Amino acid sequence: MNTATRRRESFPKRLRRSLMSQYLLLVLSAILLIPFSFPLVGLMIGLPNWWADQADKDNPYHDGARLERIWHEEAAKLGGAAPETIDSELRRLHTVYSKAGMFWVDGSGNTRLQLPEQQLLPRHWNADYTVQFMKEAANGTIFTIVAFIGTSRQEGFLVFQMDRERMISLRAGANHSDGAIVSAVMLLVLALYLLMSLLFFNRIRTRLVRLQSAMTSPAAGGIPNPVAVDRTDEIGQLELAFNSMIEQLEAGRLREAEEEQLRRNLIAKLSHDLRTPLTTIRGHAFSLVQENLSEKGVQSLRLIDRKVEYVGQLIDNLLSYTLLSSGKYPYEPKSIDVVRMARIQFAGWYPAFEQADFVIDLDLPESAVYWHVDPRWLERVLDNYLQNVLRHARSGRYIAFHIVTDGGGQIRIADRGPGMAGQSEDKGAGIGLSIASLMLEDMQLRSEVRSSEAGTIILIRPDDSI
Amino acid sequence: MTIRLLYIEDDLEIGRYVTEDLTRRGYSVEWLLSGNKAFEHVPQADLVVLDVMLPGLDGFTVGQRLKKEAPHVPILMLSARSSVEDKLQGLGFADDYLVKPFHPDELAARLEVLKRRYSIDAMQPVRCGHLVIVPEQQSVVDSRTGGEIQLTAKQLQILLYFIRNLNLILTKEQIYEAVWGEPYMDGDKTVNVHIRYLREKIELDPSHPTIIETVRGIGYRVRR
Repeated sequence: MNTATRRRESFPKRLRRSLMSQYLLLVLSAILLIPFSFPLVGLMIGLPNWWADQADKDNPYHDGARLERIWHEEAAKLGGAAPETIDSELRRLHTVYSKAGMFWVDGSGNTRLQLPEQQLLPRHWNADYTVQFMKEAANGTIFTIVAFIGTSRQEGFLVFQMDRERMISLRAGANHSDGAIVSAVMLLVLALYLLMSLLFFNRIRTRLVRLQSAMTSPAAGGIPNPVAVDRTDEIGQLELAFNSMIEQLEAGRLREAEEEQLRRNLIAKLSHDLRTPLTTIRGHAFSLVQENLSEKGVQSLRLIDRKVEYVGQLIDNLLSYTLLSSGKYPYEPKSIDVVRMARIQFAGWYPAFEQADFVIDLDLPESAVYWHVDPRWLERVLDNYLQNVLRHARSGRYIAFHIVTDGGGQIRIADRGPGMAGQSEDKGAGIGLSIASLMLEDMQLRSEVRSSEAGTIILIRPDDSI
Repeated sequence: MTIRLLYIEDDLEIGRYVTEDLTRRGYSVEWLLSGNKAFEHVPQADLVVLDVMLPGLDGFTVGQRLKKEAPHVPILMLSARSSVEDKLQGLGFADDYLVKPFHPDELAARLEVLKRRYSIDAMQPVRCGHLVIVPEQQSVVDSRTGGEIQLTAKQLQILLYFIRNLNLILTKEQIYEAVWGEPYMDGDKTVNVHIRYLREKIELDPSHPTIIETVRGIGYRVRR
């Protein structure tokens, strides 16, 4: 019924609960995080730049192009001016750009006012030096502006000199870290994605491991306990399926137990219903013997009695076999002294063999032999074999019952009957031997039967002593 | 002395027949068709023969309650079920156990064993060869002379143990544990020695014993 309700769920609902869609969501958010992270990166880069720009604004030496324009304008304005005027103008400019060096050269090539005074400058500028100066100004570390005074080129020139360091923008320094920020953010995004994936799969793994341990640790009845289902995704459905499987197993086991009980009751009832009339027959046959009967009549009654006894044992074997083959025969092994047990067991059979004129060949050791078996089972096995000898090997008039202590011990039962393939008075008694071998197998004992026309030898020994 | 026997059996044919047979063997039989009234009758009984009574199935319950009411009264179970299941359930309280279809002689023999084991019939002297053993007086008399044979306490205990288990072959482990009340140790010769001395006192020819028979390889037996 669980399956049916699950099937009726709407598609989107199922989709939402699916592990696959959860994971797809995770991947998708990781992909979306990259474009969303760009504005963030932009902001991270933009902020320091803006701050640097602000700082640059306060630096008058920063903009070389502007300085050059101003310098040319100033120089142009001084066209035709007296050298004193030029000197005072230069002094005024120097107050504005105090960190720069300034001087001027007049039309005839003489160096005039220098602010500050420079030792290296010549008093008079010839053509060679001028060319050299211009060349150095273009490539050197000193930022140099040369502007002609006035519009003609006869009035000399103004020179502005400044260390290029002063021009370096703060922003240029910030630009170096831009790439690192982008990489860091990308790495962060990647790490976040990996972490989320790890958590996601670890959660799945934890639940799967829990389910696996629930499956492999059976409870008292041999069936695992159901697991608690707290989610309805694929694993949740797996857990539900597992629980319903357990339910079915439990139901199956209950049904099996009920059937077993029914069968046991049937067997018990059958046994009762068969044995009750047999008891009456036996009792009445016995009372007939006490009547005045002919020898033939007595013989017939003896035969009836023997057959009743035989049918009774057959019923018992049949029922025992049914119980045994369905594994319902109680088995409680313990360590027992086989010699002692067998001696008492054979003592019970001794009179029967004696009465049937058997030669009894006994050889039981004085020392104990311990086997780990259920004594009731071993008794039953010995009973069945001895019963078999008494019933089918009567013609041999010989029974050997030996126990040897070597090799973990061995029980040996031998007769001189016609062998298992031979003809016997009561056919169809094989079930007794089937029970014996089934029981021996379950007790981890091994039986070996050697049968010929000269008789049968049965060897019983622990399976691991071979 | 008449032994009073309480017999619980629901099958009329078997019940009638067994009652008749046991009465002929000298028992005073009280036959009940169900276990309901058994508790009222058990104080007057020396022995109980209880049918498992399938399909009623309450034979075990009845038996357990009877054993609780009167622990000294031996119970023999008659069962028509598969023997092993019964043995597991039944022998916990029952003193003996017989599976149907049983021979009437076998039932009588089992009851004899129970009587001796519970000393119900202890008054009866047992005749064994030339000996008359009187358990009540703890005495052994030579019937030819009428004279009492003097036995040690252990010798007498051994002989009485044989008498309680007449016709059964007893291993020396069983004898030792019954008489000395301790677990038998491997290779202990005590029982053999005591039986040799016992034989010297009770056998006509101790080198060819006839009272205490040796069953080679198993143990000893006293037959009647």
